[in-house]
Amino acid sequence: MTRARAVKTRVAAGLALVVLTAGCGSSTERPPATPPPRPAPLSLATSLTSAGTVWATIPMGAPSGPNQFWQLFALTSPGGRWSLRTPGGVATNGALVLAGPGKQTLTAGIRPSLDLGFSPVTTTRDGGGSWSSLPPDPGFANVPDALAAASDGRLIALGSHQAVQAAGSQRAGWTTLITAKALAQTPAGRRCALAGLTAVAYTPAGSPLLAGTCGRPGTVGIFAQQGGTWRLAGPALPAALGGQPVRVIRLSRAGGRDVALLQAGTGASASLLAAWTGDGLTWSPSPAFPLSGARVVSASFGADGAAAVVLSGGRGVTVDGPGAAWRRLPPLPPGQAVVLALPDRGATDLLAAAGSMLTAWRLTGPPARWTKTQNVKVPIQYGSSSGS
Amino acid sequence: MSGMNNGLNPDDPTVVAAFRAALLHQGVIAMLIFAVLSVAWVSVRAQPDGARTGSPNGPSHPLARIRAGLWAYGEPAGRQVLRIGFGLLWLADAVLLAQPGMAAGLPSQIIAPSAVTSPAWVQHVAVWAGDAWSYHPVEVGSAALWIEAGIGLWLLAAPRGTSSRLAGLASLTWGLVVWVFGESFGQIFAPGLSWLSGAPGAGLLYAVAGALLVLPDRAWRTPRLGRAVLGGLGVFLIGMAVLQAWPGRGFWQGTSAGQPGTLAGLVQSLAGTPQPQALSSLLSGFGSVVRAHGFAVNLIVVAALAAIGLAFLAARRRVTGPAVAAFAVLCLLAWVLTEDLGFLGGLRADPGSMIPMALLAAGGYLALTRVPAVETEPAPAAVAPAPAPEEPAGGPGQRWRERLGPAAVRRSLTAATFGTMASLGAVGVILLGAVPMAAAQATPAASVILAQSMNGAPNAMDAPAPGFTLTDQHGRPVSLSGMRGKVVLLTFLDPVCVTDCPLIAQEFREAGRLLGADSRRVELVAVNLNPIYSQPDYIQAFDHAEGLDTVPNWYFLTSDQARLRQVWRAYGVASQVLQAGAMLGHSDVAFVVDQRGHLVQELNFDPGPGTPVTKSSFAAQLADAATQTLRSP
Repeated sequence: MTRARAVKTRVAAGLALVVLTAGCGSSTERPPATPPPRPAPLSLATSLTSAGTVWATIPMGAPSGPNQFWQLFALTSPGGRWSLRTPGGVATNGALVLAGPGKQTLTAGIRPSLDLGFSPVTTTRDGGGSWSSLPPDPGFANVPDALAAASDGRLIALGSHQAVQAAGSQRAGWTTLITAKALAQTPAGRRCALAGLTAVAYTPAGSPLLAGTCGRPGTVGIFAQQGGTWRLAGPALPAALGGQPVRVIRLSRAGGRDVALLQAGTGASASLLAAWTGDGLTWSPSPAFPLSGARVVSASFGADGAAAVVLSGGRGVTVDGPGAAWRRLPPLPPGQAVVLALPDRGATDLLAAAGSMLTAWRLTGPPARWTKTQNVKVPIQYGSSSGS
Repeated sequence: MSGMNNGLNPDDPTVVAAFRAALLHQGVIAMLIFAVLSVAWVSVRAQPDGARTGSPNGPSHPLARIRAGLWAYGEPAGRQVLRIGFGLLWLADAVLLAQPGMAAGLPSQIIAPSAVTSPAWVQHVAVWAGDAWSYHPVEVGSAALWIEAGIGLWLLAAPRGTSSRLAGLASLTWGLVVWVFGESFGQIFAPGLSWLSGAPGAGLLYAVAGALLVLPDRAWRTPRLGRAVLGGLGVFLIGMAVLQAWPGRGFWQGTSAGQPGTLAGLVQSLAGTPQPQALSSLLSGFGSVVRAHGFAVNLIVVAALAAIGLAFLAARRRVTGPAVAAFAVLCLLAWVLTEDLGFLGGLRADPGSMIPMALLAAGGYLALTRVPAVETEPAPAAVAPAPAPEEPAGGPGQRWRERLGPAAVRRSLTAATFGTMASLGAVGVILLGAVPMAAAQATPAASVILAQSMNGAPNAMDAPAPGFTLTDQHGRPVSLSGMRGKVVLLTFLDPVCVTDCPLIAQEFREAGRLLGADSRRVELVAVNLNPIYSQPDYIQAFDHAEGLDTVPNWYFLTSDQARLRQVWRAYGVASQVLQAGAMLGHSDVAFVVDQRGHLVQELNFDPGPGTPVTKSSFAAQLADAATQTLRSP
């Protein structure tokens, strides 16, 4: 090889190497194929009304991380003042899931967070004045309806590994009722093509109800246990929504019945529905509310089965119960986190958190408008969960 | 970067003091090594002529012998430049490694920043390296210093022969270690790769120089090696010119959307670091020029790199001479303006890549000159034409004994040059670093100095441990007095704690593992600190989550609130239920109870950031405390 040729070869090899390196290291490389978008998770901020007491849980402090602490507030009389009732002795960084079986009674589960690998469970019978612990759960799922209580004190929980746990009224501990995988293999699960569980509840009679997402379009994934057999027991959707995928986003006790919030369809054509049942088998669905591209952020329930939903874009809607139509709320006051509450028939409160400050608003009018009623300064212990 | 935080402040006084002490201690040993070798060498040579076998033709004055040993041999100029240049660079690096913050700070201040923009697999390598350093920061920090000092001395002391080539091999090996683990492959896999920011990394250049020094002498006597070195550098520089000119990498823009461009941003970040005012002003001024004339500055850089690269490829002396001079100037400018002299602007372990690159170019240029072969290499200053020993009657064993015997050693010392003796000393210095580092790496637990630096040394005590009887995780009653005859490591934990307690529990578990067979004589005991979550099922859930449910000597004790409060009071431990979703406020403390039931140590046991390194260190501290107590009379 001549010297000139050798030089050319070296230059060519060097350039090839550099082009290759630049291709690898360049920031203009093609992005990898992205998986299809998953629905945004529903916030665990919620409120429930149980025998005259309204309970609301909302994240406060930092927007996320170890300085975000979930708080519990209670309103013991309509028109009264909200007070801080967060259970003590345990860090609430992982969020609270609530189950309210009766007057002044609430059971709260604390989701795992940071180095805590399981879920403490605590209960109050005096409106949050004092708390006593119940057996810990292996770890609640990241959904607002991961815990439910029957009137007789039994508990049912959805675990982070898609196992449904049950605890008897003697509170001796949790046993696995069924897993999503096992449920998917039952005839009902196969009919639904169950993709995953999203909520647990009890019927007023004390039978467990499970909710999930069906892979089969038009099928509502609500399962009721009858005679030891799981049955697909969700409401039938209007014919117009028959071919749409349906997601059960909430399933909860509200007064003397259970209420389910459903999202039918995806994207701009998605609709929101509520459905009520007294026995877990027969349902009364609401009209469909077109979401018009909005996302459901959080949802709350009143004692009489009313539902209130916070939508993205600072909007909100409520529905009073079976036979009622959806009602738009005035634009919601801003907040780092916002949750609606339904203390009484026709009354709507809103709690907005910003750092350590909670602001309570009440819907007044006509014309309907939000009126500030209360500020609550919460003594958040910043840094207490950050280690040393 | 996750995994690179050893939880230590680089200026942590405990680690700094220990590092200084280690360096002082090892420095004395290094001096002793040289002193012993010098005395041996001089004393053997000072013996009457009849007793030694030195050459009658060798220089007689000691200084003349030293000069003859180091420079009399006609070492090719290119090789000499690389050997001496990189020898001095290794020594400079060793000096930089002696900075007080180096022991605790190298993983977070040097390794992590070099890897942060690299791909995940490079970051894994960097995290591994950072952990390896962090587990034993004092031992590894001082070892790295002595290894680099030893390599530098060895290169300077060994101008020829196998010893010199071995020194080159040491430079090659350690250069690669530094390049891979310390510099994250010189960031060549990171998106912002540029010659101006130090590509391809100083460690690789040290390794290349070492590889060249490993080559046999004859390779340096023809121009082929010089052409290869300059050709390689030429290809590299042309490649760097193309990268520098590549669109979309931000080098052509002084500013982009109001933000400094890539080069301006680099200079601006350097100017903002602590350094002498004059240099900071110079960098700020250069940064302004780049912001205002980014295109022109990059054009000059691209053109200069390409032109010098092409000139190097030509490998003709009349072209490469000016090109090497221009390259030296360019390197100097880049060293000052884009590398901040390599060692300014925070903790740095080397003076950057520009000086080594200029040295390589100079060495390659000098190697273009054909060097006449030396007829017979000058013998060592005092050649020892000792008569070949006769085959001893005792066979191979006897032969080895004779070779290692005092007479043979004396013969070797007599024949040795100053360079040989200095090389021997340098190897001793390398071993001075390498042996403790290997020993430290063979230890499964991190150094206890990390725990001590965070929480101080344990407090010695001597008082009867307050007794208690509580219920263990299985519902069985357990009393402290029932553990008499064993060492008890005692702590207080909240079973629903989200930060410290799980870490402390993991440290206790690890301490039990470190104790090995001794763990049969040690009990690991925790007392519940939470007055609300005190039922055994919470204790069991905690044990299960932390992998303690299978540890036979682990007892997590609980009871009713009143009895728990009595124990807390007796041990001076605080527990406070806080408002608004906060974790229980409590003390992080551990006690060591000896076999007689006496408290002998109290350890502040705040686990800090809970990294693998700190957890290991706290576990080692506990295990050490238990072992000491077991061994004490």
